[in-house]
Parts: sequence; structure tokens; C-alpha cells
Amino acid sequence: MKISFLSENLQKALALTNHAVSTKNQLPILSHVLLETREGKIYLSATDLEIGIETVIQGVIEEAGSATIPAKLFLELVNTLPAGKVSLVTQEGSVQIVGGKTKTTLQTVPPEEFPKLYERKGEKILSLPGKSLQNVLKRILFTASIESTRPALSGILFKRIELGFILVATDGYRLSLEKITTEEQAGFEGSIIIPAKLIKEVLSLREDAPIDVYVDGQQNQILVAQEETVFIGRLIDAEFPNYEKILPTDASTEITVDKDVLQRAVKTCAIFARETANIITLSIQKEKMSVSSKAPSLGENVVDVDMTLKGEENDIAFNARYLLDFLAVADTQDIRFEMTGPLNSGVFRLAGNASYLHLIMPIRV
Amino acid sequence: MTHTMTVDTKLLWKNALSNIKTEVSIGNFVMLFRQTTLLEVNDTTATIAAPSAMVINLLQRHTPVIKKALSLAQVSIEHVVFVPKTIVHEENAPAGKQTSSPLFSPEPQKPLSLGHLPRVRQDYTFATLAVSASNQLAFVSAQTVADKPGTSYNPLFIYGPVGVGKTHLMQAIANAVYVHTPDAKIIYITSEEFTNEVVEAIRSNDTARMKRRFRSVNLLIIDDVQFIAGKDKVQEELFHTFNSLIDNGGQIVLSSDRPPSEIKKLEARLSSRFAGGLTVDIEPPDFEMRTAIVLKKAEQLHIPVSMDVAKAIAEKEQDTRSLEGALHRVITQSKTTGQEISLDLAEITLNEKRQKTNSLLHSEDIINSVCLFYNIKPTQLKGPKRDASLVKARQIAMYLLTKELGITLVEVGNILGGRDHTTVMHGVRKIEGFLVEKSRISEEIVGISKGLRG
Repeated sequence: MKISFLSENLQKALALTNHAVSTKNQLPILSHVLLETREGKIYLSATDLEIGIETVIQGVIEEAGSATIPAKLFLELVNTLPAGKVSLVTQEGSVQIVGGKTKTTLQTVPPEEFPKLYERKGEKILSLPGKSLQNVLKRILFTASIESTRPALSGILFKRIELGFILVATDGYRLSLEKITTEEQAGFEGSIIIPAKLIKEVLSLREDAPIDVYVDGQQNQILVAQEETVFIGRLIDAEFPNYEKILPTDASTEITVDKDVLQRAVKTCAIFARETANIITLSIQKEKMSVSSKAPSLGENVVDVDMTLKGEENDIAFNARYLLDFLAVADTQDIRFEMTGPLNSGVFRLAGNASYLHLIMPIRV
Repeated sequence: MTHTMTVDTKLLWKNALSNIKTEVSIGNFVMLFRQTTLLEVNDTTATIAAPSAMVINLLQRHTPVIKKALSLAQVSIEHVVFVPKTIVHEENAPAGKQTSSPLFSPEPQKPLSLGHLPRVRQDYTFATLAVSASNQLAFVSAQTVADKPGTSYNPLFIYGPVGVGKTHLMQAIANAVYVHTPDAKIIYITSEEFTNEVVEAIRSNDTARMKRRFRSVNLLIIDDVQFIAGKDKVQEELFHTFNSLIDNGGQIVLSSDRPPSEIKKLEARLSSRFAGGLTVDIEPPDFEMRTAIVLKKAEQLHIPVSMDVAKAIAEKEQDTRSLEGALHRVITQSKTTGQEISLDLAEITLNEKRQKTNSLLHSEDIINSVCLFYNIKPTQLKGPKRDASLVKARQIAMYLLTKELGITLVEVGNILGGRDHTTVMHGVRKIEGFLVEKSRISEEIVGISKGLRG
């Protein structure tokens, strides 16, 4: 193989595929990236067997072929090369990389050892502009529990509804839900769980191009593609908890509050809540809401927040971290909070986005 | 797709895998084979599940190894077929580390009856506890704590000699809190069990879990806390648990056989914390109290016992545990012989037991125990001097020799340095009189008897 490309293109592509290269990997071949030419394009791919990433580098193919190169080392090397043309030539058991005045020879392993990432893309179930899909995913993803030993909680549920999907994630203490609408009527029915780890990668895709989601149920495969960049993962084969039955149907207290004001108040109280398992209390009165926390050995603090109340006065306590997580992704100026009592889950909504809700289980104090 | 995995394929694959392990690199084994499951074997084909197409793609390169391993396990096949499917291996699933998801757990059910609390006897409630002057303060404090855990006396420290009802009182608190707040987290534990948990946590390198367990409760009750004396690591753990519980509004109840300040080898910081709430003592039950206890226990058992019988039992036994035992013996005797529970039956049963249990007891044992308790020499006890302290010890020895060994007054007199049997009779009566009214003497006698029975 004899190919050449601009070093900045190679750098960008390598940085992306390296997301799928795990240092903990015990299979040597998986610490490599595969460079190969197919149908006049240069493909770069990497996998840790959980996620596979494939992308295309713009370049010139003088001679078709393939090579596997140690991924981390390759990226480090490319990062030091001057901007401009880089050429790569395979030799017997090694590859020579020339960029500017630097000439490097790297040992390689036979490309045949590298696993094939996918046979076919599968059925396209969803296609949305990059930015809008990413915004939805951002509001949901933080709720999933990537480290969970319960497989269903380590992914995002995509449930087919008329004209779209419901996306749900939960870690067992809180839950995010958002409806998305799609133009086309795909044949896909039912629901799938996509690993949070894969979704996280999707957030690194470009905002200005559509993102397509493909499913191959038989292969247990989920594939997300934007132009020529493809993420491949496996569907989570587990039963998602029955989230519908825990969604409150009505509320006795409803307030509207400025997101930034509430976020500042919670941040302040979170300092004092460190000692007491992050407990902060929202005390909703007619005129104002008091956000407070206590540290037995230090003292306590109360921040009054202006808000408008519909319904009755109420108190509720939350883990400050959960509130901050939500407030960090809340992307409207006003947010609405609904509750029925200190023991029932509180529901947060974004003013102007009726399709989203975030639910947090209160702490009993 | 449903697969019925028979034991055979499971075992077969396990054997095959141990073979494969020797053939492929460790990386291949861990990354590829460990995630596989043999679903089915028929005449020509083995069907193997693996998580994804990528894994299968790599596995296919090891087909010869798989075939060889299966043939070594006496299964020869022509084809190996892979199916992409994630099968969670039970043995690989981390046990006990399941992420809890309280959002989806069903609403806590109101329990129909008690008894859900581990280690706590459900019949130990405030209602079944006999109250008299000797334990009234402790009783009232315990009730207050049970009504408002964490807000009144924290910690509540109850101390008193063996068999005065400390455990009953503490379990009554647990039961009462459990009744009015069923979802409160309550741990009742003896200090020995606590020690074991600390040791186990250190051994299994999982102290975080233990910390979480103990530091998240609403009510922590530790019985016989004096046994952590001298155990530094346990004391340290208890100290931190203590602080974090108090800070978080959790209630702590402790019991011991002596006040905190008298527990030796207890770190000062812990001792001062133990005494930082309310410290109450329970005195040994006096005669009336013991009678009341017998009557109350009998009532719980739905067995009518007359006042005379109750008195007879209360006279013979000092601590509540022995009272219960004596009552049970009398009841059993009545059931086996078909007689009604009468004073005669009670006396015969209780005396019989005495002779049986004490057949191995020698008069010297009693003398030594008494001397040890009062810190005097046997020669002084048997000697002629009549100092007040000696006389008391001598009279107790007389009482114990008569009651425990059942020997004659004359014999007792001879053993105690040739005293007249009327002297002995007087001494025994005197002690009996004390027993009925003075709790201090009975406490001492319980102490001596304990020494006797080792």
C-alpha cells in the first residue's frame, strides 16, 4: 500500500478512532488501528470489541492495500508532525511514514488479524440533524449509569411511538425522558436499548450533518453513522424497567423558576451539603423558595430563590449532585418543577420543551 | 430466541474451554472465549453464542481449536456456528453488587406482623416488660427514644448486671420504632457480631460496604458493648460510625454490664461519647419485681400461675433468665405429670433441679467463691472473728451451702469452723430476709453464684 494525506486530516481521524482503543485490552491486535483502501477511499478503523469506530481519511491512493499500526503511538507521532503531506508506504512486516523531514518505520502485525467491524449496516430506524439529535441525547445521557451492573440501566431506551421515538434513561434514582419526532415512517417497531457508551461517542460527531441510526436485530448490532464515520456497538439484551408506572400523573405544587438562579443557589448549598450525603432541601412557600443545607460541624446556609407558585406550599429534599447534573443540561431560561409531597418523586420540565422531563427521587429526611 | 441450556452443554463447554485455554493466548481467551456460551450440539454442528459480530469474526479464526477441544471432550462435530447474542453468565455476574434501583422497587409493604427485624425477638416489646422501681427510669428513657429516635437522648446507654432485662428493653425499642416507621433502617447487633463484621470487612477488603451499611441506619442498637474493650480496630470503626450516625440524626442505643467509665481498655474518646447522651442503669429485680416477672411471663404463655407459685419461683431464682427457666421447668413438670401447677409441684420441681445441677458442686467451691468475692481468706471465714463484713460473708456462705448443696444445718455448721446449727439457721434466715427486701445482697449472691457455675 502506498497512500498520502494531510497530517491534520490524519490527526483528526486518528483522534476519533482512538476512542475505541482501550489500554486495558488484552488482545494485542486491538491496540492497533487498521488502515485500508476500499473502493478508492482510505478507511481507518479501531475497536475494543464493545464499540467499533470506522472513518474515512481524505487522501491519495497510489497503491491499494492495508496495514495495522499501533494506535496510541501512531497518534503521538502524527501530533508531532508538521502540517502538510504525510505519506505512508507498507513494507514487509513494517510501515514507513514520512512527514516533512521525519521518516519513521513502525512494526506492524498482519492486517488479516484485525476483526471485521460489521457485515452490513442493518435497517435505518432514525435520521436526524446532528445538532438536534445531540441536544436530545445530552439531556438524557447523563442519567444513564454507565458503570451499572444492571445492563438495562447502562443504556438508553429507544421506544418506537407513532411519528417518532421515546428516549429514556435511568440509573434507578432519577430518570430522563424525551420524545423525538421523525419525518419518515420506518418499518421498525418495538424498542431497543443502546449502550450509553456508544451514545457518548455520538456526541463527538459533527452538528451540521445528519446522523443515521441503523439496527440489525439478528446481529444484535446497533450502528450510528454520519456520512462516512460509523460507530458500531451491540444492543443491550435486557428488559428496561417499567418507567411508565413511575411517572407522576399530576402534581399539587408547581413552580416556575429561573434556571441560573436555582443553579447558583444549589451550588452554594452543595458546599454545605458535602458532609450530609449531599442533602439539600427545597422549601416552597407562597412568596419564595428556600434552598438550604446543613453541615453539623460547620453550620448551615439558606438561599432564597424567587419563583412563581401554583398550588400548595411543600418541602422536598434532594441529592444536590442530581440537581446540579440536571441543571447543567437544562437549556432553557425557565424550568418548571412539580411535586406532590416530600416522599414522591419530583419532576423537572423545561419551559418551552414539552417533550422533555427529568424525574428525581427525593431523599427522606 | 429462547435457548434451553442443559447441564450437559454447560458442563461440556466448561471442559472444552479449559482445553481451549491452553491452546490460545490469554488475551484471546479473556476477550473472546470467556464471553461465549455453547447453546446446542447436534450430530454435526455446535452452536455457540457470542456478544457481537466483531467477536464472532475473531472467534471464527479459532474454529479448529474449538473443534479439537470438543473432540477431546468426546464430541466430534463438523461445523461450528456462531450466533450473536449476549448471555449473562451467572457465575460472571457480580453477586450482591446489583445496582439498587429504588425508583422501581415496589412500594414498601406495611408488615402484617413483626418479626421482620433480624436478631430481634418480636415478643420483646414494652408491653411485655415488667416495670418496677428498679428499671423504671430505663423503661421511660427507652420509650422516649422509641417515640422520637435521634432527637431525645442520643446515645441511650443502658447498663446493669446480667439478666435484668437490658436486651428485652433494647429490642422493645427496635420493635416499637419498627411498628411506627416500618421503613426505618434498624440494626440490632451484639458487639461480638459487630466485631465479626469489622473483621470480615477487613479480610475481604470491603470496608466501604460495611461503612455504608452501618452509617445509613436510623437506629443502631449494640448489645453488650463492653466486649469491644481492647479491640482497637473495632473501636475505631465504632467511633466513626458513631459520629456519622449522630451527625445524620440516627439514634444509637447501647448496653453494657457496667457504666462507660468503668469499661477498661476503652478509648477515652469512645467512652466520653458513650456517656454523651443519657446513661441509665437497671438494678437487679427485687423480690416483688421478680414475682411480677414470673406472673407476666406466665401470662404471655397463657398458663395460669398462682401468686404463691410465682413467689416460690421468685425466691429461688435471682435473675430474669433463670426465672424464665424455672417457670418453664414447672410448666413442663405439670404437663408431663398431669398435675396442676401448685405450690408443692413448684417446690419439688425447683428443688430437684437444684440437686441435679449441683451434684458436682463441692462445699469448698462455695467457700472459695464467697471468699473470692469478698476478698477474704477461707480461714477468716471459718475463724472466730465476728467483724461485720466477715459475718455477712459467713451468712451468705451458710445460705449458699444450704440452698445450693441441700446439706443439713449441722453439716454447714461443721464446714464453717464448727458453728452451732442454730447459728446457721439464723444466718440463712437473715439472708433470706435480705433477699426479699434488699437488692444489694441479692446482687452479690447472683455474682457469687455466677462464679460457682463458671
